Amino acid sequence: MAEGRAVETEGLERVFKGGIRAVDGVDLAVERGEVFGFLGPNGAGKSTTVRMLATLLQPTGGRASVAGHDLVGDPAAVRRSIGVALQDAAIDPYMTGRELLHLQAVLHSFSRDAGRRRAVELLARVDLEAAADRRVGTYSGGMRRRLDLALALVHEPEVLFLDEPTTGLDPISRLTLWNEVRRLNGEGTTVFLTTQYLEEADQLAGRVAIIDGGRIVAEGTPAQLKAQVGDPTLTVTLADGSQAQAAEDALRALGELLPCRTGTVALRLPAGAASLPAVVRALDDAGVAVAGLDLAEPTLDDVFVARTGRHLEAEGDDATAAAAPAPA
Amino acid sequence: MSPAVVQTAALGRRAVVGTLRTPQALVPSLFFPLVLMAIFTGSFGGAPGTIPGFPPVRGFLDFALAGAILQGILIGGTSAGSAFALDIEGGFFDRLVASPVSRTAILTGRILGGVTLAMAQTLLFLAIGVAFGARVEGGVRGVLILLVLAALLAVAVSGLGVILALRTGSAEAVQGTFPLFFALMFFSSAFFPRETMTGWFKVLADLNPISYLVEAMRDQIIETEATSATLIGLGVAVALAALALWAANSAFHRRLEGDR
Amino acid sequence: MRHGLTISLGLAWRSLILVRRMPSVFLPSLIMPLFILIATAGAFRGISQLPQFEGASYLRFTIPLATVMGAGFAGINAGMTMARDIEGGFVDRLVASPAPRITLIVGPLIAAGLRSLFTTTVVLLAGLIGGIAPPGVSGTAVVYLLAIGFSCATACWAMGVALRARTIQAAPLMQVVVFLSVFTSVAYAPREVLTGWLRDVSDLNPVTYIMEASRAAELGTLGWSELWPGLVAVAGLIALLGTWALTGLASLGRR
Repeated sequence: MAEGRAVETEGLERVFKGGIRAVDGVDLAVERGEVFGFLGPNGAGKSTTVRMLATLLQPTGGRASVAGHDLVGDPAAVRRSIGVALQDAAIDPYMTGRELLHLQAVLHSFSRDAGRRRAVELLARVDLEAAADRRVGTYSGGMRRRLDLALALVHEPEVLFLDEPTTGLDPISRLTLWNEVRRLNGEGTTVFLTTQYLEEADQLAGRVAIIDGGRIVAEGTPAQLKAQVGDPTLTVTLADGSQAQAAEDALRALGELLPCRTGTVALRLPAGAASLPAVVRALDDAGVAVAGLDLAEPTLDDVFVARTGRHLEAEGDDATAAAAPAPA
Repeated sequence: MSPAVVQTAALGRRAVVGTLRTPQALVPSLFFPLVLMAIFTGSFGGAPGTIPGFPPVRGFLDFALAGAILQGILIGGTSAGSAFALDIEGGFFDRLVASPVSRTAILTGRILGGVTLAMAQTLLFLAIGVAFGARVEGGVRGVLILLVLAALLAVAVSGLGVILALRTGSAEAVQGTFPLFFALMFFSSAFFPRETMTGWFKVLADLNPISYLVEAMRDQIIETEATSATLIGLGVAVALAALALWAANSAFHRRLEGDR
Repeated sequence: MRHGLTISLGLAWRSLILVRRMPSVFLPSLIMPLFILIATAGAFRGISQLPQFEGASYLRFTIPLATVMGAGFAGINAGMTMARDIEGGFVDRLVASPAPRITLIVGPLIAAGLRSLFTTTVVLLAGLIGGIAPPGVSGTAVVYLLAIGFSCATACWAMGVALRARTIQAAPLMQVVVFLSVFTSVAYAPREVLTGWLRDVSDLNPVTYIMEASRAAELGTLGWSELWPGLVAVAGLIALLGTWALTGLASLGRR
C-alpha cells in the first residue's frame, strides 16, 4: 500500500466543451478507513468528480491522488487500487453474473483458477449464488447492484467508489447494502459514497462534503454540520392546555423556551434525543400529561439551505420535519 | 364529394407528409436502388449485345432502370406499413376508429399515401435515368403504364404492410419483412434477364410474380420484350393488388371486432 | 505484455459469447454472406459468358465476394458491440480496470477474425455443395487470410466510429461505408469488363486488390503478381484504420 490519504484533491477541475464548469476547484481529503459521503443535488458535479477519481474522465485542472498514486501521472496504479460501482450501468445484460465476475478477474490479471475461486467467494458474499448462471438482464434492480458491488470488490480494492448505490432500490435492499458497506469499512476498505439521500449520508458517512455547482459548500461530520445550522427543537403537545405554565416551569432548566402555539410548549434542546429522558422525567414529576412529543433536528438539507438558499431536492422519505429547527 | 373520399384524401395527405418528414424512412428507398443501379450499370455495361439471351438495348442503364423503380417501391411500401404500425402503437389508430371517420378511409388513406409516393418516386427515377442517358422507348403511353404498374404494386406492398401492422401492432415486425422483399427481388428478373438464368434458380425466377411485374415495367422503357409482357405484368399487378386489398380489409375488420 | 494478451483473449471470448446470445443481431451477419453467394451467382450467372471470364464458373467467381462481405459483417459487428457497450456504460468497467487500453481494441479484433473464419468456412462449404471444390491448400489459405485481414480492417473502422459517436445509432454509417467499399470494387465482374465511373473508382479502391487476390486464389490462377497487391491493400487498410481506432480510443477519457 502506498503512502498517503485514500483520496486527496487540490483544485480539481473539469470544464466541458462550451465552457461548462462541472467541477470548479474541488479540494477533498479522505483519510484511509473512512466512509466519506459526497452529497449534492442533481447536476452538482458529484458523478463528474467520481468519474475523474475513477480514471474514467480526465481532469482539466488541479491535482489529485487516489490511494497515494497520482491520478494523472500513474492511472494504472490507481486502477489497481480502486473498485468502482457506478450507477447500475456497467453491466452487460447478455452475460451471466458468474461470467462477468470471471471477466473482471481476467481484467485484473487473475489466473483462471484464482478467478473462478474469487467469483464463487463473491457470489456467496453478495447472496447471488442462486442467480449466478442466469443472464444479468433477468436480474432485479437490487440484484444488479449487488453484482455491481461484487464486481468492484474482485481485487480487494483499497478504495471503493460507490455512486448513488441505493437509488431506486426498495427499503430492504437498501438496508442490505448499507450493512455491506459497514462490513467492508470494518475490514479496512475506504468507502467514497455519493448519494442524494440525506439519511444515507447520515447513517453511513463518518464525514460528509456537500457539493453544489461544482464547488464544495460544506464539509465535516454530519453532527458538526448540523450543529452549525441550529439546535434540535422539542415540541411538547399537552393533553390539558391549562397545564402549560406547569410544563414551562418544569422544562425551563433543560433548555431555552421558545414561542409556540397554544396547548404546546417548545424548547431548544442542544443535546437532541439524548435529553429526552430528562424531559420526560421532569414533566412526569410535575404531573403534566403529555399528548405528544416531537423532536425536530436540523437535517443536512437545512445545512444545504443555509449555505446555498436552495433545497437538496432529496427523496420524500427524508422530508418530514414537522417543526423547523431553531436557528443558531 | 362524399365524406369518405375527403377523409381518404386527408389521411392520404397525412401519410405522405409524415413520410416526407422522416428522412430515415425516405433515404433507403431512394439511396439503395439508385446506388445499386449505378453499380450494376458499371459492372454489366458489356453485357448488352454480347451475352446470348440479353434483349437488345441502348445501354445497360435502360435495362436496369425498371429494377431500380421496382426496388424503390418495395422499400417505400414497407415504410407505409410500419408507419401504420406506429399509428397503432401510439394510439392514433384507436382515436381514428373511435371518431366518425369512415372505416374504409382509415385503410385507403394509408394506401393512397403509399401509392402517391410510389408514383412520385417512379417519375423521379425516370427523370434521373433519362438525365444519365436512358430513353423511355414507350413514350408518354409507356410512362403512364409504368405509373399504373407502380400504383398497383404500391397497393399490394402497402396492403401487405398494413395487414402485418394490424396483426402484430409492431413497427419492428413490419420492418422485418424488408429482408424478405430484398431476397425476393434477387430471385427474379429485376436485375438481369431470366433468359440467362439456369437450373433451379431459373425455376424460382419463373415462379416469382415480381419477374412479370418488372418485365412489364421494363417493356415500357426498352420495348423489346414481347407485347404480352405488359399484359401479363398488368394482370399480375392487378391480382396482387386485389388480393392485398381484400386481405387488408378482412384483417382490418377482424381487428375492429376485437379479434386480433 | 503477456497479461495484455490474456486480457485480449478474455474480451474476445466475451465477444464470441455474445454471438450465441443475440441471434437477432448476429444471425443476419451469418446468413447474409450465404445469401449474397446464392443470389448473386444465380441472378448474374449470364455475365460469365463474356469472353473475359475465360469460361470460369460464376459461382466460383462469386465466392470471394461472399467471403469478403462476410468478413466485412464480422468487422461491423465488432463496432456495433463497442457502440452498445459505450452507450450502455459497460465500457466504464473495462476502462476503470488496470487492463491496458489497447486490449479493448485487440480483443474484439480477435473475435472479428474468428467470426470471419467461420463465415468463410460456411461460404466455402456452400460452394462445395454447389459443385465448386476448394482451390487447394495454399489457395484456400490465401482466401482465409485475406478474409481475416479484411475483417480486422473493417473492425477497426467500425470501432473507430463507435468510439467517436458513442451510440448504436451510428451503426448505419459503419454499414454503408463497408458495403460501398465492397460493391464499388470488383464485386460482380472482373476489372477489364467494368465501364465508366466504376472502372475508375475500382482502380483506386483497395478492396479491389483484396478481392482480385482472393479470386485468383479461388480460380487457381494465383501468382505473386496477383497476391502482393492484395496483401499490401490489407496491410495498408489495417494500418490506416487501426490508427483511426486507436485515436478514437485515446479520446475515451477526454470527453
